[in-house]
Amino acid sequence: MPTPLAEARSARLLEAVAAAGLDLLLVYGNAWQNDYLRYVCDFGILEGQALALLHADGHVILYLDSPLEVDRAEVECAGIEIVHAPDLVGEVDRALDRFRNQRVGSAPHRLIPRKIAARREGLSDATALIDRLLMAKLVCEVDAIRRAARLADEGYAVFRAAARPGRADYELIAEVEAFYRAHGVDDNFQIIGVGGPEVRGMAPPGGKRLKRGDLVTTELTPCVDGYYAQICRTLVVGAPSAEQVAAFALYRTAMEAGITAVRAGITAADIARAENEVFRAHGLGDYVTDAYTRVRGHGVGLFADSKPHILEGVTTRIDAGMTLIVHPNTYHPIVGYLVLGDVVVATEQGCEVLTATPRELFSVSP
Amino acid sequence: MRRGLMARDESELPQDVLAARLDGLRAAMGRDRLDGFVCYTNLVQPSAVTYLTGFTPYWSDGLLLVPRSGAPVFATALSKRVAGWIASTNPVSEIACTPKPGAAIGTRLAAQGARRVAVLELDRLPGGLFAEIIGAAPAVELIDGSAAFATLRRRIDTAERALIERADMLARTALMQIDPAQVADAGAAAGLAEKQARLHGAEEAYIAVAPNLAGDRRMIRVSGPLPLADRFALRATVAYKGSWVRRTRTFAKDAAAQKAVARTDAWFETVSASIAPGRPIGAHLAAQMPAGATLTDWMAESPIGSYPLEAVASARAPGRDDLPDGGFAVLTVALEIGGTPWLGAAPVFA
Repeated sequence: MPTPLAEARSARLLEAVAAAGLDLLLVYGNAWQNDYLRYVCDFGILEGQALALLHADGHVILYLDSPLEVDRAEVECAGIEIVHAPDLVGEVDRALDRFRNQRVGSAPHRLIPRKIAARREGLSDATALIDRLLMAKLVCEVDAIRRAARLADEGYAVFRAAARPGRADYELIAEVEAFYRAHGVDDNFQIIGVGGPEVRGMAPPGGKRLKRGDLVTTELTPCVDGYYAQICRTLVVGAPSAEQVAAFALYRTAMEAGITAVRAGITAADIARAENEVFRAHGLGDYVTDAYTRVRGHGVGLFADSKPHILEGVTTRIDAGMTLIVHPNTYHPIVGYLVLGDVVVATEQGCEVLTATPRELFSVSP
Repeated sequence: MRRGLMARDESELPQDVLAARLDGLRAAMGRDRLDGFVCYTNLVQPSAVTYLTGFTPYWSDGLLLVPRSGAPVFATALSKRVAGWIASTNPVSEIACTPKPGAAIGTRLAAQGARRVAVLELDRLPGGLFAEIIGAAPAVELIDGSAAFATLRRRIDTAERALIERADMLARTALMQIDPAQVADAGAAAGLAEKQARLHGAEEAYIAVAPNLAGDRRMIRVSGPLPLADRFALRATVAYKGSWVRRTRTFAKDAAAQKAVARTDAWFETVSASIAPGRPIGAHLAAQMPAGATLTDWMAESPIGSYPLEAVASARAPGRDDLPDGGFAVLTVALEIGGTPWLGAAPVFA
């Protein structure tokens, strides 16, 4: 049987599809960009690619090119018609031939394979339709993100416990992954930075070994029932220097300014501005530009890095029920790249912070 | 998302190996009168770009343009803050971080006066990137380059074989952690196996479990409590520095069944080590069946395009199921022995 979460999403999606006057919705998914596919058929694809066709009556056909994923989908996706399509694009293209006179929307339109995107008859861009649903969460979706946030806290505790001099960066992540596989987390987005002022950002682990004085930054993003929550924290190997303590205090002030700004009715830009003003007030305005930082936070949900991006140029309105991470992560010219971020859900009056790990510059003993 | 060890080591993947691979592609381009060859990469379609440059994305996507002469260009939507990291794993191409990688490649093609350009898996290319390329280079004819690339990838070089063997060692180590007498829970077993693979440097590790082989031999992803039955199987799909393998092992809890499984494991090891160049795999398997066993399914997967492993032949779709001298595949086999299922998978080299 479909999960209550999937049923709630399905009901909402069918309403939106009907309101848009669509007969069919075509969605694409892979292990990187899986949110649209998950919304339609609740499948977390790992290998290969998928296309799914949602009919206005609720019937879903999931096309997968990997035979291994077909086996898994047959077990995990009750109520969905599963088709093994080694020639994924050709098979779906032929299926669409049967609906020539129907109105078909597609999402995310930019990832729809070229051959199908080139169809002229009736294939419209329905990305915004699903984007709206992805951003404004149902109560049950927020509950799932709340569960993921708890596991973000627990995962970070495992990460901290694993961090000690001599260990390689990838070994810390291995410990977190083992914990997650045993505790209901089937995916996790995580990057890491190890070192000092030479570190300009986070990346996948490259084999660096921790040593005294290193800042160890991580962005940890567990996925529970398809929903991601994120936490960003920084620790120091050994006692932190006065410069590291002072820099961290600035980031904490910035993050808290951003979180304080969150409430229904403001824009993403307002949150970014609240964070960035703290840096500008301390003469660090250059470090909130795209030369040093990508975003000042972003949405979380069925994608680890979803809309809206928290940037001063993004005017997306924040509504109650939106879930965001507020993270003023950027390069600091004295201590290096530093991160701090918490997940929040926006409310009419403000926001609820979902992560509970103390906002500290942690220190692990050498 | 990719979060294991991602780093380049000159001793494992020397630059002259990458240069030789690019030369091989350029020779094919010359035969087909191509001005350029474009490969797409993302988390699930990394292999062509990894093969040519060493680079695998942990996130986002990108396009590699190999022109007829001069350095390749890699255009990616990854942030320019990680350009240094990209360069650390990709020593052979220019790197352009841009929100519109297709437009960047199209602009290059137009500037070079390219007229005929092959795209790996053209029909599967994201429509948005395709529109960007032709928007910037409307005069360029784009054709599908999949067959030419697959021909290039029929054989692996010694550097790739060494990386595959390292990945295989990680997969075997991961599965060796499972003691069927000790482990009762599928989620814990998956976590244990994944941890070992990652602790030893796996770039990626997907652990799948068939928790009750007597009831269902399909593999699922497990992340939480699920009891393991008397006979179960684990599949470790492991990547090391861009090279992927699968290993599947069947486990039994009682001693008599363990002996039967061990005998079949030994048979599979012998059979998979004796795949000869040019000999059809399906026929080879059928001729070597252990007494009382029925071959219920098999599949051969190779990295012939953008996928790390792609089914090239199987019981359901035989296709071309021989390997050339120097070829590589992951062979997955399902048997039924006296009404009991057995699953196995291993890399094979011809």
